[in-house]
Amino acid sequence: MAGSGTAHLRGHDDVVLRVENLVMEFPAGRHQVVHAVSDVSFDIRRGETLGIVGESGCGKSTTARTIVQLPPPTSGRVVLDPGTDQEAELTTLEGEDLRQVRPRLQMIFQDPISSLNPRRRVRDIVGEGLHIWSEGLDDEKIRARVDEVLEAVGIDPTVAANRRPHEFSGGQCQRISIARAVVLEPEILICDEPVSALDVSVQAQILNLLEEMKHRYGLTLVFIGHDLSVVRNISDRVIVMYLGKVCEVGGADALYSAPAHPYTRVLLASAPEPASTVDESEAAIGDEIPSPMDPPSGCRFRTRCPRADDRCATEEPVLKALDDDHFVACHYPSVAGASGA
Amino acid sequence: MAGALLTVQDLSVGFLTEQGLVRAVDGVSFDLEPGQTLGVVGESGSGKSVTAKALMNLLPSYAQVGGTVNFDGRDVFAMAASREKHFWGVEMTMVFQDPMTSLNPVKKIGEQIAESLRVHLGRSRRDALVEAGDLLEQVGIPEPGKRLNQYPHELSGGLRQRVVIAMALACGPRLLIADEPTTALDVTVQKHILDLLDDLRRTRNMAMILITHDLGVVKGRADEVMVMYAGHTMEEAPTTTLFDEMRHPYTEALLETIPRIDTPSHTRLVPIPGRPPEVIDVLDGCPFAPRCRYSIARCLTDQPDLTSHGVGHLCACHAPVGTPSGTEARAANESAGTTAAGLDMDQFARNVPIADLGQSGAEG
Repeated sequence: MAGSGTAHLRGHDDVVLRVENLVMEFPAGRHQVVHAVSDVSFDIRRGETLGIVGESGCGKSTTARTIVQLPPPTSGRVVLDPGTDQEAELTTLEGEDLRQVRPRLQMIFQDPISSLNPRRRVRDIVGEGLHIWSEGLDDEKIRARVDEVLEAVGIDPTVAANRRPHEFSGGQCQRISIARAVVLEPEILICDEPVSALDVSVQAQILNLLEEMKHRYGLTLVFIGHDLSVVRNISDRVIVMYLGKVCEVGGADALYSAPAHPYTRVLLASAPEPASTVDESEAAIGDEIPSPMDPPSGCRFRTRCPRADDRCATEEPVLKALDDDHFVACHYPSVAGASGA
Repeated sequence: MAGALLTVQDLSVGFLTEQGLVRAVDGVSFDLEPGQTLGVVGESGSGKSVTAKALMNLLPSYAQVGGTVNFDGRDVFAMAASREKHFWGVEMTMVFQDPMTSLNPVKKIGEQIAESLRVHLGRSRRDALVEAGDLLEQVGIPEPGKRLNQYPHELSGGLRQRVVIAMALACGPRLLIADEPTTALDVTVQKHILDLLDDLRRTRNMAMILITHDLGVVKGRADEVMVMYAGHTMEEAPTTTLFDEMRHPYTEALLETIPRIDTPSHTRLVPIPGRPPEVIDVLDGCPFAPRCRYSIARCLTDQPDLTSHGVGHLCACHAPVGTPSGTEARAANESAGTTAAGLDMDQFARNVPIADLGQSGAEG
């Protein structure tokens, strides 16, 4: 793989966030650099859920964090509401200007318990954003608003508002995190593995709640995950990443029913219950992921790819369209109809 | 059962805490034949790992253990009491979830594998190292000779788990317990490790207990599956029977609540409301009753026993799925709009638009 390129970007049409040529490099000492995210571009339409899936070290969480400028990327552009009078290029903003934009983007994290301050009461955790940002609201209104949002996420405010996080289970803490994130009515909610730490019987509750919050508050979601089934379930569009690059982008159902990139096919074949669109034998690849400090030349997946040849070592594949909403960065993609590799 | 390698009868494990006695495992029984794989499926707190630790004699001294465990005619708890040295790590071994913490970071890999060969089988240092190299090759580690002299931090997560498996295999165990062996690994590596364990089990005719929270992991790999919840066995059956003719509402709910890789996006998931119970107090009824779509009055007062539903198929339920009593119980709950435990039935309807759901899926 190796997808650079911007063929998959759509016009200004209702796009709420556009990320262009995002690069994030971390210094690793001795003049070495970790190439965490390398030239990644994507856009998200209003009301859409974008899933980003990949294994550990693929750069999916770093991508999410650089969107909210924590930390700001090494290079690239992150444009909120492009083409409108609200347009903001986050990487150029600093200080107070950046702070003013922050309520428009919120995040929830993998570990719900450690993402809540154990010493504060639920009411204060959820209401803090309102106290900071809503100067017109008096305490009574803030109280009512917090109660309303807690109720919306399925937490009874009369019982829960004065308790502290340790009195709640993981699933309930994740509900409180969601309440804290939506209380300011952000445009975009970034979810970094929000159900990975939860029991399977609670996972569906949180996924259903995210769908419901999306409709109720008109949110746009970025959903980061490693579980392919979960990502398909919640996403409209999916990006598959590997070693800091985009492999494949497409509508969720199009991508899963006709996976074109060899790495996407490996992922789908490796799932505990492999997808019906791939053959289980396609999971047979090497285990060793190359170091992000010294990624392979050309296509970064070539060292594990069953189809790689000389061209893949020298020429980086660029994202190209398979159809209207399905793009792949591979010199030898599987094309629907033909049998894969 | 004749020919069983391992027979567990009425195993219970309790921990006395300030809040009361936590019954982590409560009356679990099963048999395992040589060369067979038993899948144990459950969520956190179901008692699956505590069961494994009880078998491995790894529980803390304050644990209150009851029941009997018999391994090939020998009483395992009696061996524990007499401090038998050459049973655990030789005939019965275990692979843990996190390969990073299962290995000693300051010892070379070769020495770590050789250690058990020297201690248990009395091999010389040199012979043990040669055998360690062979073991690394058997678990599919490239360049085994070089790896012997490396430290754990020099290996990836997948390779480390292979080293842990090599250590578990070193003395030729007859039973390998794998507790979530792939949960900490990436999906592409996960499949390779599960396939490796399966190959090794077959070639060595070794029995295996595969513990997981993921029903997908045991499908096609285990001969039998035991589903645990709140320290109890809910259902046990040959694997294909469990997936095709499940009888316990919890098994059915687990399968329905997990997103499928082949189902279209935005398919609404059937939630399991509430959360697993605290296992501190003695439950009068079925531990799953408060979350169950089938619950009837009896479920709240009367804990169901395991009853037979066909060859090797046991289920502990008063209103099993796919039986007249289960069908009737669910239909009655649906028409009443609520279960005997007071659970709102509307949230289970598949066609409810997500926007109308409100807080019905909330945890208790």
